[in-house]
Amino acid sequence: MVTKEEVLNIAKLSKLYLTSEELEDAFNEMKGIVKFVNQVNEMQNPDEEINHANELFNAFREDEIVPSFPREKILENVEGGKEGFFYLEKSQ
Amino acid sequence: MKYELVVGLETHVELLTKTKIFCSCINGFGAEPNTHCCPICIGHPGTLPKLNKEVINLAVKAGLATNCHINLKSNMDRKNYVYPDLSKAYQISQYNIPICENGYIELSSGKRIRINRIHMEEDAGKLVHKGGDVYIDYNRGGVPLIEIVTEPDISSSGEAREYVEKLQSILRYVEVSDCKMQEGSMRCDINVSVKPVGSCKLGVRTEIKNMNSVTFMTKAIDYEFERQSDILENKGEVVQQTLRYCENSNSTESMREKEDAQDYRYFKDPDLVDIVLSEEDVNKLKKSLPELPDVRIKRYAEDFGVSKSDAELIVKYKNAADFFEKASKGLQSPKTVSNFIIGQIFRVIETESEREKFNILITPNQLNELVKLIEGNKINMNLAKKTFSRMLETGKSAADFISESDMQEISQSELEEICKEAIKSNSKAVNDYLGGKEKALKAILGNVMRQTKGRGNAQMIEEKLVNLLKNS
Repeated sequence: MVTKEEVLNIAKLSKLYLTSEELEDAFNEMKGIVKFVNQVNEMQNPDEEINHANELFNAFREDEIVPSFPREKILENVEGGKEGFFYLEKSQ
Repeated sequence: MKYELVVGLETHVELLTKTKIFCSCINGFGAEPNTHCCPICIGHPGTLPKLNKEVINLAVKAGLATNCHINLKSNMDRKNYVYPDLSKAYQISQYNIPICENGYIELSSGKRIRINRIHMEEDAGKLVHKGGDVYIDYNRGGVPLIEIVTEPDISSSGEAREYVEKLQSILRYVEVSDCKMQEGSMRCDINVSVKPVGSCKLGVRTEIKNMNSVTFMTKAIDYEFERQSDILENKGEVVQQTLRYCENSNSTESMREKEDAQDYRYFKDPDLVDIVLSEEDVNKLKKSLPELPDVRIKRYAEDFGVSKSDAELIVKYKNAADFFEKASKGLQSPKTVSNFIIGQIFRVIETESEREKFNILITPNQLNELVKLIEGNKINMNLAKKTFSRMLETGKSAADFISESDMQEISQSELEEICKEAIKSNSKAVNDYLGGKEKALKAILGNVMRQTKGRGNAQMIEEKLVNLLKNS
């Protein structure tokens, strides 16, 4: 079972500040999620370790350089940034 | 009451790969901000990380070089925290199963500092604070790191220094990292606690974050030991907290207390599959390792007749050790070479980073030639030392400073002539000596040395002079 305190704590860790209404919604959603995961767990054979949906392992990349993105592209979503940096103004 | 210090270290080391850990951007220091970036390393939604194979190779090499057990099966986990240096709001790291475990580094006293684990992770971006605003550079974001965590086995700041310097030396030998603390490619977090001498129970610990100099690290440990001992002495309680060391005031200040101790909600990263190594992979990497510092120290002591402490001084810097080996080729006494390195070269290049680079003007062969002249009794040590200083200044060879006539071995009769001459022309010193002032002999000796232009052996001349004076 999930408690409201747990939901509040997770929200705090995620830097989310919830109104009491939003907390109620999040609480109900979280209950549903945990219930669903518990259902999945019931289906699982406890002797069998499931690591991944597929049986892949060692998906590696060679250590070879590919040119990075132009900086204008990188800073496009933050209105061009400031002096080449991502920029956070001092909070008031 | 007397207290003893308990220290554990967590050392972050950036790996010498060409590219980042999960994308193909350059792993390099000092570029313009945000020019080594792509959607993967700035954490755009919908991108997928792909693990750089070389990161695993280097992490395993680091583990093998520090006597670790290698976990053939491991995986990457997510460590969740919200902070602007980490655009995804989670760092990809290893939690339950690190790639290496249970190793150790041995100090020169023979004491072993146990390594609990070495795990792989990505570095975070760099925050630049200006007037309360924050500027973020993600070039470092996604640079591959290993974190090397010791057990709380360190019991003095001196041991901490030795451990870190030894770790640096080892990781440079195996070319896992350049370990430049001033550039941040090696950083230490220190866990410090104190306990009454002899007590088995560990005290409450504090953690000092992000030390980027060995000297400041030792100062921070000493300061924190005093601070915690004082608190306990005054019946107070040490508060578990994260501290920052202030270089200017040589003290520590609180960053955060335990109340907001982090809950990282680790879980297995579903974007990355398991890492499975075979014994063969590990053996291959083991075979690729060069001779490690400890083995070299032993070899220099046993085969070359260099003292252990001298060997440690040289082996600490790989370039110095390589120079030593080349310069010692074919010599009867490699010890003379190590004396030149420690006594003269290290006097010219004094800082750690200079010694690491070992940029000097002369080649190993030039030193080898000089020592051959000494071994062949062509010149004495005094002249050799003077010559070597000039060689170091100019990069020229011994032959440029020592003429053919200087190098001819002086004959016994010629030497005797010069000695007799010197006794004649230094009547005051002779009288002083015969009157009991033994030091006066030095003046006559100096005179003879000048006359022979360094060809004679000082000890031989002294004996000759004493004999002549006795019979005069």
